Parts: sequence; structure tokens; C-alpha cells
Amino acid sequence: MKIVVAVKQVPERDAPVRVAADGRGVDAGDAWTMNEPDAYALEEALQLKERLGEGEVVVLSAGPERAESTLREALAKGADRALHILTPEEGAGSLAERDTLGVAQMLAEAVRGESPDLVLTGLQSDDLGAGQTGVVLAELLGLPHVTLVLSVEAQAGAKQIRVKRELEDGWFQQIELPVPALLTIQSGGNRLRYATLMGIKRARSKETKQVEAGPAAARHDEIVRVAIPERTRQTEILTGAADQIAAKLAERLKAEVGI
Amino acid sequence: MLRACYRDCVRVEEYVVVAFAGVGALASVELAEPLHFSVAEMALLVVLCGASLAIFLWRIWPIAGNVLRAKKDVGFSLAPVGRRVWEFFSEVLCQSKVIKQRPLPGLAHALVFWGFLAFAVVTTNHVLTGLRLGVLQHTGIVGEVYFDFVGVWALLVAVAIAGLFVRRFFVRPRWLGEHVSIESGVIAGLIFLLMVSYLAAFTLPADSAALKAWWWVHTVTLLAFLPIIPGTKHLHLVLSPLTVFVKRAGFSDIPKLSEAENEEDFGLLAGKDVTQLIALQAYSCVECGRCTEHCPAANTGKVLNPKEIALGVRGYLNAFGPASEKPLLNELREGQENASNPSPDNPPANWLSMEAAFECTTCGACEFQCPVGVQHLPIIVGLRRGAVNTGAWEDKYGTKLFLALEKQGNALGMSAMERDKFVEREQLPVFDGTQEYCLWLGCMGGYDPKGREIVADFARVMRHLGTSFGVLKKEKCTGDPARRLGNDLVFGSLAEQGLKNLAQNKVQKIVAICPHCVRTIATDWREYGVAPEIEHHSEFMARHADRLPQQDGGAIVYHDPCYLGRYRDVYDEPRAVVKKSGELVEAERHRERSFCCGAGGGLAFLGEEPGERVSSVRAKELLATGAKTIGTACPFCNTMFRDATAAVAGDAPPLVLDIAQLTARSISNTDVKTEGARIR
Repeated sequence: MKIVVAVKQVPERDAPVRVAADGRGVDAGDAWTMNEPDAYALEEALQLKERLGEGEVVVLSAGPERAESTLREALAKGADRALHILTPEEGAGSLAERDTLGVAQMLAEAVRGESPDLVLTGLQSDDLGAGQTGVVLAELLGLPHVTLVLSVEAQAGAKQIRVKRELEDGWFQQIELPVPALLTIQSGGNRLRYATLMGIKRARSKETKQVEAGPAAARHDEIVRVAIPERTRQTEILTGAADQIAAKLAERLKAEVGI
Repeated sequence: MLRACYRDCVRVEEYVVVAFAGVGALASVELAEPLHFSVAEMALLVVLCGASLAIFLWRIWPIAGNVLRAKKDVGFSLAPVGRRVWEFFSEVLCQSKVIKQRPLPGLAHALVFWGFLAFAVVTTNHVLTGLRLGVLQHTGIVGEVYFDFVGVWALLVAVAIAGLFVRRFFVRPRWLGEHVSIESGVIAGLIFLLMVSYLAAFTLPADSAALKAWWWVHTVTLLAFLPIIPGTKHLHLVLSPLTVFVKRAGFSDIPKLSEAENEEDFGLLAGKDVTQLIALQAYSCVECGRCTEHCPAANTGKVLNPKEIALGVRGYLNAFGPASEKPLLNELREGQENASNPSPDNPPANWLSMEAAFECTTCGACEFQCPVGVQHLPIIVGLRRGAVNTGAWEDKYGTKLFLALEKQGNALGMSAMERDKFVEREQLPVFDGTQEYCLWLGCMGGYDPKGREIVADFARVMRHLGTSFGVLKKEKCTGDPARRLGNDLVFGSLAEQGLKNLAQNKVQKIVAICPHCVRTIATDWREYGVAPEIEHHSEFMARHADRLPQQDGGAIVYHDPCYLGRYRDVYDEPRAVVKKSGELVEAERHRERSFCCGAGGGLAFLGEEPGERVSSVRAKELLATGAKTIGTACPFCNTMFRDATAAVAGDAPPLVLDIAQLTARSISNTDVKTEGARIR
């Protein structure tokens, strides 16, 4: 079973983040790490390969030069090969200048070349949190997809897989779907493994292929403003029966929020 | 209780009385040596000597092979030789550690050893006599004095070995293990017979048949003894002087992993990773159990037994040899059955288990106690390295710790901003190269509430003393828990980053509140570069003890942290500081015998432990002194005892205070000389 895992390099959790000079982006400093849901996606892929006793895990990332370190980390944890779609650090063609569709198109082109049985992505990214890239990627590839997956059950050579999907309030959903498929993975489904010395040493001899990203298409959306949330205390509790609260809420949303 | 029992059986006074009686008796008698040996007797002697030597060599050959064919130790050097010569003189010739750490049996053993040395020339002469080549004269003052001198030793040895026999077979101390060693009994018997047969010659006339018979008894006993030595723990007779001389220079001296291109070195994974020193030490183990006696894990119902670690390596080498690819740890070897049907292909579970390897707090009591130079810590950490560097160790808490160290740079997994907030709140000056000291906070000092109190109080003490200091803007963990758990990737990364941080900030002197930080920066970081000099805050405060306020804080029982005491040999300085705060009380096990708090070796970050908690055992021991205050010098000990005393003496727990906190109690705010310092 061939599994492609798409990972993104994001700013570290407690890196100090500032709004960029133009007010439409973010300066994230120089502490970078693998997106956490992607780390869980990678872990699921590696565990799946271990359970099946065979297969290949290919890790894929679109990003600037510095994304190399995240790919190396993935190889050190056990991925077999890496694909790096190189984008400029900033300016035209950088990740920041591409919308979800643009990013998904870059990834789709790389994935098509691999013809995998499974594509795994993280549920969303720690920095933008759009939660869309995996879904759009599935659409572009024409693959069935399931989101919010915690674990995958598969047999070698089988045509179907069974996944456990997280719903609200402690509920889960079990879904069967055919392969090839795309799954977006939720954090917490597994215990992440730690990178080992042996892994890092072996990673040195694993293949990393780098390709330059094609030019970026125009965005379909527009970033109007990026700002740090202002802390204001304005809590009002609406009281009454459910239908009364709903009516009051609808009124406030229309009047104050402008929906 | 066993000790008291034993004291009833053998007293030092008895030795002295016997010695004097013996000297008195011998002074009046002359030793006679049989003068005539026939050609047939000489031939028989040659044949017996040959056979004895041949069997000895045949038995020792594979052992020597296992040691010599093992991997060379990385970074080993005999220099500085002076220290090795001194330790050889003190520990081997003077038997200092043997006696000091177990006085009565130690003295008995020392007498047997010295007796053997005294006998060396006599024994050689004894055999040569049988070939009509005897060199020592019995007439004349030199000969007489020498033979009488050896006669005294023969008496001492006979009494000592009889006492040790009684101890092993009747008193049965539990450190010697469940199984009673028949081979020990045989050896004791042979030694006793050697002494008796020597002494017999004092009572018989020259040329008598009885004398000749005793001569043969002595000879045969000697020749039977020699081939028994290899293959038993008595191999230490041959090996241990060498083992003590060549042991690694430092305490808990963890070697560098080999960087050779063609080989993969992740630690002690399999036989091929066992080095010559480890193999030599494994074969030198005398199974005395001193290591086990002082081990916190072995004393609280855990699987770990340091003696079994050394013997486990020996058993592995005997079964598989030093080039084997079979993993050392049981769990990593496939098809493991349990101890029911042990065989070389299926070694019993108590040989080197993963569970045991990860129960070690690295307190060092084992390595410290060992009289024959076995260094347990590099072996245990080596086994951990093999498991962790290859990802074979899958532990929920261990993984969490490694990820926290990797991502957040501290062992507690907190955001680095929390440390910044603390530094700001406490108004600790930031190190800018102008201050004398860099105050290293460490993970506990930077993120743990009680650790922070210790830092804050030590800062007050430094201000009171007028010492300029600053804290680093950014600080990551020294990597101590990663190093002790065997994760070289994380440790190396943190060490390199730490050294770079210190160099960039032009730090020249560091003072830290945590002995783990001190040890790791001062010693373990050497593998990656040169660190500035660092000392523990107890060493700093002791130097200024005369300027610290004298208080009457009542009885304070001081607990020696493992990483300050055994690791750094710092015992008096913290005591000097405690004495300024109150009356110093010692726990039963103190100084180099201090019993671990249970937090070391990364165990503070792992899950609950089986058996009784190490911290509880030690807390009870500290409380038993009656002191109402426990003085600590390590934030980990502090945390462990706070929790343990709350559990053990819940309704009236003692105060658990670091030496900095004890001192700062009586430093009023007006004493604090820095402007803007936070007033409490």
C-alpha cells in the first residue's frame, strides 16, 4: 500500500507572532515546526505501514527551503521518501500568496505522479486553520474523502478501508470507503513517536526530490485585514425559553453583526 | 539486625587476641621444610603443576577472548595515570573501599587478601622446594622472621575465612542472594586448608613423613585452587586489580557514541556493542551485592537489581559472545520464554530486562560501592540508549518528555513565554555580559512553582551578598533527563544549543540551583564543546557563609542529593549553609550513602512506579530523625519530599526547604541591596 502524507511547516506554537507591515499577513519569526495534525497524519501512515507489514510512505510538502527540515523530520520518523515542492520564501508564488485552491493544485500535481492508495493530510493547519486543503485536494484528484479521521483499518491489497471519524460530544462514526481515497486526520488519534538517532541517521540516505512550484494563479479570495484579536469584555447572557433566545439572538445578529 | 547478629559471631577483638596468641606461639617454634624429594616425587609435581596450569588456561582462554575481542572503548585513555595509581594503591592494596563501606566483612576480606600477598614468596618457594630448588633459608634471622611473619598471616587468614564462611552460610545476609553458593564454600575450605597445612609445618620435625604429607596436602590444595578460579566469581583474584586500574576516569562516565562511518553505534543494543571495559567488569563482578544493598529500586520492590545487570552481561557474553547481533535486553530478543526453561538460547528473564533498565534513578550508589571497579551507570545508560535511540522503547511519558524537550525546549512541556513572565515578575536582571554570574534557572527553576521560589530566594541571597548576576534571556533544558534516559538525539541538540547560547552571551561563570544542571553542563556537555565554569549554589553560599545570617531554626535534617554528593563530591558546603540556619541533623544514610529521592534518571517525568515509592522510603527515613525541617539542595528532591511527606505525615508534615530558602528566611527586605527588587 502506497501512502502519500502531505505535511505543512508552520510557525512553532509559542513563537512570537506579529502582524506584517502591510496589515494583510503575519511575521512568524524563525521558529518552525511540523503542523501538528499533519504529524498525526504521518503517525497514522507509519502505523498503518507497520500493521500491514509492507508498503511505502511518501511525505510531501510545499514550502520554501526551510521546509526541508520538516521533511527530514518525517523521514527520520520513518517515511521512505520525500517530495518537496519549492516555493519562494515571500512575494509572488509564496505560500502566503496562494489560496487553498492554488496550494491544493500544487499538491495534486505531485500526488498524481505517485498514484498512491491513500493520501493523508492533517485536518487543518495550526497557522491558518482553514481545514480546506485536504478536501479540495481530494476533489482535484477525484478521490473519495473523509475528514476528522482518528484511525484507519486496512488490509493489504484490499479494495475497502474502514475509518473512525470524530463527531461532537464523544460520538464517533465508522465509515467504509474504497481506495484510493483521501483522509484528513484529526490530532490525538495516536501517540506520536519521538524522532530517534537511528531515524535521523537512516534519513540521510533516503531520497528527497525537489521540484520548483509552478507560477501561482490569482487568488479567488482576498485578505482584507489581519489583526490581533482585541480583548474586550462584552458578555451578555440571553435568557428565556429556547425559541425566545433564538429570536433575540437572530435579532442581535441582524442588527449588530450585520448578517 | 543481621549486622548485630554477625557482630555477636565475630568481633574485631577476637582477631587481635588470636593474632597475639599466634605470634607468641610461633616465636618459640621453627618452621621445618621437608628436604628430600625423590625423582618420582619431582616428576609427579611437574605433572600436577602442568595439569593445573593447563586447566586454568583452558578455562580462562574463552573469557580473555570475550574481553579482548569486544569492541574498543571510545575515548578511553590511561592518562592521568597518577590518579589510577593512587586508586589502585588505595582500593586494591589498602582495600579502603572494601573496608570502609562494609567494615566487618570488609576487614575479614582484607585480611585474606593481605595474607595472600604475604604468602606470595612463600608459596613460590614451596613449589620450588619440591623441585629441590628452594631458595629461602630457614636458618638465620631473615628466614625465621619471614616464615613467622607469614605464619601470623596464616592464622589471621584462617580465622577471617572461617568468619566469612559463617556469615555466608549461617548468617545469610540477603545481599548475597537467595541461592547459597556451594562454590564459595569450596573455596573457603581450600583457603582454610592451605593455612592449616602451612601452620602444620611449625609443629612437626624436619624429615618426618607427616611433614612430607602436609607438604603434599598444601601443594595439591594449591593446584586444585588455581583451575577453579576462572568460571567462578573468584576470577576477581586475577582480574579485579586490573579492572580497578583501567576503569573509566569519571563517575557515571557515559562514553561518546562511535562516529565511525562504517558502523552504527546507538548504545548497548547487542553483544557487538559491549566494550572491553564492560566485558572486563562483567567478569570481575564478585557478586557481593553491595550495589544491590544500596539501590533505591532494589530496595523498593522493583525488578532492577544492579548486580543482575553486571551478571546479565556476563551471562550474555558466555551464551552469545561479544560479536553477537542478538539484543542484550530480553524484550528485544525474539521468541523469549520466561525463566522456566533457561538455556543459552533462552536466557532467563532476570538477565537484562527493559523494565529493569528503565527503573534506574542513576543515583550511582551501585557504582560508588563497587569494590572491584564495576561501573554500572555506563552499562544501564548504554542499555537505555540502545532501546531509545532505535525507538524500541515505547513509553507514554517518555515520548511526551522527548517531544516536550524537542518542541518546547523544557522537560515540563510549558511555553517558553512562561519563563519570560516569571523573570519579569520576579524582576531578575537579564544577563548582559557585565555581571559576574549567570544564574542558570533550569527547567525546575524556570517553570516549576517551588523551583521558582528557590530561585527567587537565592536571588535575594545574592543581592544580600552584593553579587552581580543575570539570567539568560532564553534558556533551554540542559538535556539531563534525555541523557540519562539514553536519547542522544535530543541531548545532543540541547547541549549544542546550550553551549551556543552561553558563548553568544559571553557567559564566564554560572551558578545553578539544580545539581542535575550543574553536572550536565560541567561534564556531559564536554562531548559537544567547552562550557564556562559552573558551580552549585551551595558551593557559592558556603564560600560566603560568614556573611550569611545566623538563625536558630531548630533541627534541620539535610538530605544529600545524588548529583551533588556522589556525583560531585560536595557534602560539606551545603552542611555549612544549613548550620547557619539551624541545628544540622544527619539521616541514617547520609553523605556518600545518601538514599535517592527517586527523581533522577528521568524518572521524575515517567509514570507511577511499582512497589513502594522510593521517595516515601526516604521521606520516612528523614522524618525518623525527628527533625521538623528537611533541608534540600536540589529542586527535584524538594518536590519529591514535599509530595512524599504530605502522603506519609499528612497531618503534621515537616517543612521542606532548599538551603537558599532556609537562608533567605532571615534576610529582611532592607538587607536587599538592589533597587527595584521586588519587596515581599
